Amino acid sequence: MGKEKNENVIESSLKRKYKLQAKDVNVFYGDFQAIKEISMDIKSNSVTAFIGPSGCGKSTFLRLFNRMNDYVDDFRMEGKIFIDGQNINKKKVNVELLRKQVGMVFQKPNPFPKSIFENVAYGLKIQGLKDKTFLEERVESSLKQVALWDEVKDNLNKSALTLSGGQQQRLCIARTLAVEPSVILMDEPTSALDPLSTAKIEELLHELKKKYTIVIVTHNMQQAGRISDYTAFFYLGEIIEFDKTNKIFTNPEKKQTENYITGRFG
Amino acid sequence: MNNTRKNKIKDQAFKALGMLFTLFGVSILVVLIYNILRIGFTRINWDFLNSLPSRNPEDAGIYTAIIGTVDLMLLTVIFAIPIGVGAGIYLEEYSKKSKLSSLLEINISNLAGVPSIIYGLLGLGIFVRYFNFGGSILAGSLTLSLLILPIIIVATREAIKAVSPSLKEASFALGASKWQTISNVVLPSSLGGIITGIILSLSRAIGETAPLIVVGAMAYVPFVPHSLFDAFSVLPMQIFNWTTRPQQGFAVAASAAIIILLLITFIMNGIAVYFRNRWQKKLK
Amino acid sequence: MTNLDQYRESLKQSGLEMFQLCEKQMLKSKEAFLTHDSDLAEEVIHTENRVNALDLKIDRDCERFIALHTPVAGDLRFVLALRKINFDLERVGDHAFGVAKYIIEIDTPIDSKLLENLRFVEMYESALSMLDDIKEAYINDDTKKARKVYKKDKVLNKININAFKVISEEVKKEPNLIDQYLLLFSIIKKIERIGDLITNIAEEIIFYREAEILKHQKKKKVRKPGK
Repeated sequence: MGKEKNENVIESSLKRKYKLQAKDVNVFYGDFQAIKEISMDIKSNSVTAFIGPSGCGKSTFLRLFNRMNDYVDDFRMEGKIFIDGQNINKKKVNVELLRKQVGMVFQKPNPFPKSIFENVAYGLKIQGLKDKTFLEERVESSLKQVALWDEVKDNLNKSALTLSGGQQQRLCIARTLAVEPSVILMDEPTSALDPLSTAKIEELLHELKKKYTIVIVTHNMQQAGRISDYTAFFYLGEIIEFDKTNKIFTNPEKKQTENYITGRFG
Repeated sequence: MNNTRKNKIKDQAFKALGMLFTLFGVSILVVLIYNILRIGFTRINWDFLNSLPSRNPEDAGIYTAIIGTVDLMLLTVIFAIPIGVGAGIYLEEYSKKSKLSSLLEINISNLAGVPSIIYGLLGLGIFVRYFNFGGSILAGSLTLSLLILPIIIVATREAIKAVSPSLKEASFALGASKWQTISNVVLPSSLGGIITGIILSLSRAIGETAPLIVVGAMAYVPFVPHSLFDAFSVLPMQIFNWTTRPQQGFAVAASAAIIILLLITFIMNGIAVYFRNRWQKKLK
Repeated sequence: MTNLDQYRESLKQSGLEMFQLCEKQMLKSKEAFLTHDSDLAEEVIHTENRVNALDLKIDRDCERFIALHTPVAGDLRFVLALRKINFDLERVGDHAFGVAKYIIEIDTPIDSKLLENLRFVEMYESALSMLDDIKEAYINDDTKKARKVYKKDKVLNKININAFKVISEEVKKEPNLIDQYLLLFSIIKKIERIGDLITNIAEEIIFYREAEILKHQKKKKVRKPGK
C-alpha cells in the first residue's frame, strides 16, 4: 500500500515535469500494427524531432497527440497519452478543445481558399469570438510571430492562395498560433519548400520554442540536427533510440541509429 | 516509315477527325436554330407572350405555358435543392462507409438514369392519387423534384469529394467540429460543383414532357393557374400540342414558343454559369 | 560501398600514407645518426617537402568531407580524429627532419659508450615500435593496441629524465664537448616529444572508436569494450 502511494507520487510529479507523455502505446489499423509498445516523455519548451524511414509510424504517433487518427477507419489504440498529466483519450475529453491546445502544421501548405485575414482568424471565429478589434490584434500578433506581417499587412484581404509556398506555410503556422496552443505538432513542415523558405521557418522554430513545446517529424537529418533538442529514431513502429540530439548525432548507442543517420540505410 | 512520322500522322488525323465531328454537331445546331428562327421569329410579340392559348392559331399565346414553366421550376427548386444537397452532404460526410452505403451510392447513380416516364408514373401514384393533389402544379413539381434529385445528390457528392482532404484536416486540427468544417470549408469550396449539378438538373427538368403528361399537365389550359392545386401547362407541352395540330399557324406558333423556351434555357444556364465562374474565381 | 564510404576509405588511406612516410623519416634519421651518414640525412631533409604536402592534402580533404557530406556520429568522429592525427604525424615528421638537420651540423660521430649510457638506441627503437603499434592500431581500429603505447611511453620518459643526469655529468667531465652534448640532449628531447605525440594519436583513435575523451586525464584508464 505504501509502495503504491510512492509510485503515484512519482508518476504524478513526472506528469507535471513532462508536457507530453505516452505510456505503452500500441496502434492498429485493422490487423496491421503501426506502433509497437512505445513510451515517451517530452519536456516543455523543447523541440523533439521524429526521424526514421518512411512508413515507420512517425506521423501516426505524432497524430496521437491531437487525436487526428480518430478520422481513420479501423484505427485502434491501446495505452495512454497524457498532455499536462491529463489522459486525452478519456470519454469526457472534448476533442475540439484539445485541438485548441495542440496545434498542427502539415507537410503541404493548406491555407483555406479565403483571405489571409480569414485564414488566421479561422480558429478564433469557430470558437465564436467575433470582436473585430480582438481578431485584428490576434491576427497581427500571429503574423508578426511568423515574420509575415510586414509582407502582407497591406493586403490582408487578398486570397491566401496568392502567396508563395513558403509564405503559405508560414501563414498556416500563424493560423495555428492564433489559437494560442501550448503544443505545436509539425508533420514534415518544410519538405515541400525551397531552401530559403525552409531556413526562414527553421529560424522561426528557434524563436517559437521559447513559448511552445514542439514536436516535428522530419526526413531531413540535417534539419533534425539543426533545430531539435531531442531526437527519436523510429523504425517499423518502434522507437530504437530517444535521446538528446547531440548524443544521437555524435555517438548514438544503437548501431541501427548510426546506420540510419549516416545514410547507410533507409 | 518510322515511328515518329507514324505518330505525327496519327496526331494530325485525330485532330482532323475531332474538328470534323465538332463541325458536324455545331452545324446541325446551327441549321436547327436557323430554321426555327426563320419560321417563328416574326410571330413573337407582346401579345404572343401575353395571350392565353386558343383554338385559333392567330390568337394563341404562351402566357399560361410560361407561367406554368416558371412556377414549376421555382417549386421544383424549392423542393429538390435542400433535399438533394442535404442528402449529398449527409451521404458523403456523415454516413459510415460500409457495404450498405456503397450499395446506396450505386443505386442513387442508377436512379439518375431511370427513364423520366417512370417518374411520371411514380408521381401519379403517390402525389396525384394517394395524396390527392390531383393534376396540379404541386404534383408536377414534386414529381420533377424526384426526377432531378439523384442528379443533384450525385453532383453534390462529387463536388464534396473534390475538396482536398487536407483542407478538412486543417480545419479539424484547429478545433472545428464536423459541421463547422462542412459549412466553413467544404461547402464554400464545393459550391461551384453543386451549382453546376443544379444547373444541369434544372436544364433537364425544364424540357421534361412525358412525366408531366402522366401526372396530368394539360395541353389546353385556357386560364392562369392561381394556386398550387390548379391545373397547369408548361412550354414543352404547349409546343408538343401545337405541333400536332394541322394548321400552319400553329406550326409557326410552335416555332416561336421553341425560341422562347430556348431563350429561357440559355438565360438560366448563363446566369448559373456566371455565378459558378465568380465562385471559382474566389477559390483561386 | 556508398560514395560516403569510398570517400572515408580514401581519407583513411591518406592517413596511412602519412604514417608510413613519417615512419620512414624516423627510420632514416636513426640510421643516418648512428652511421653518421650525411647523404641519408639530406634525403630526409628533401622528403620533408613531401610530408608537408601530404599534411596539407589531408587537411583539405577532411574539410571537403565535412562540407559536402555533413558527417555525423562515427563518420564525424573519424574525420575529426584524422585531422588531429595528421597534425601530430606532421610534427613527428618534423622532429625526424630536425634530427637529420643536426646530423649535417655535427662534424664528428658521437662516442658509442655515451650513447649506450644514455640508452639512446633503446629509446629510439622504443619510439619506432610505438609508431608501428599505433599505425597498426589505426589500420585495424584496434583500441587495445592503441592503449599499449602508454606503457612504452613511460620508458621514453624515464630515459629522458635519466639523460639529463648523464649529460650534465659528462659536461662536467669534458666541457669542450658541450656543443655535442647539447645537440644530443636536444635529439633526446625530440624523441621524447615523439613519444608524447604518439600517445596523443592513441587518444584520438580511442575517441574515434569509443567516443571517449581521454586527453587531459590521468593515463591510467579502465578498459572499455570496443564497439
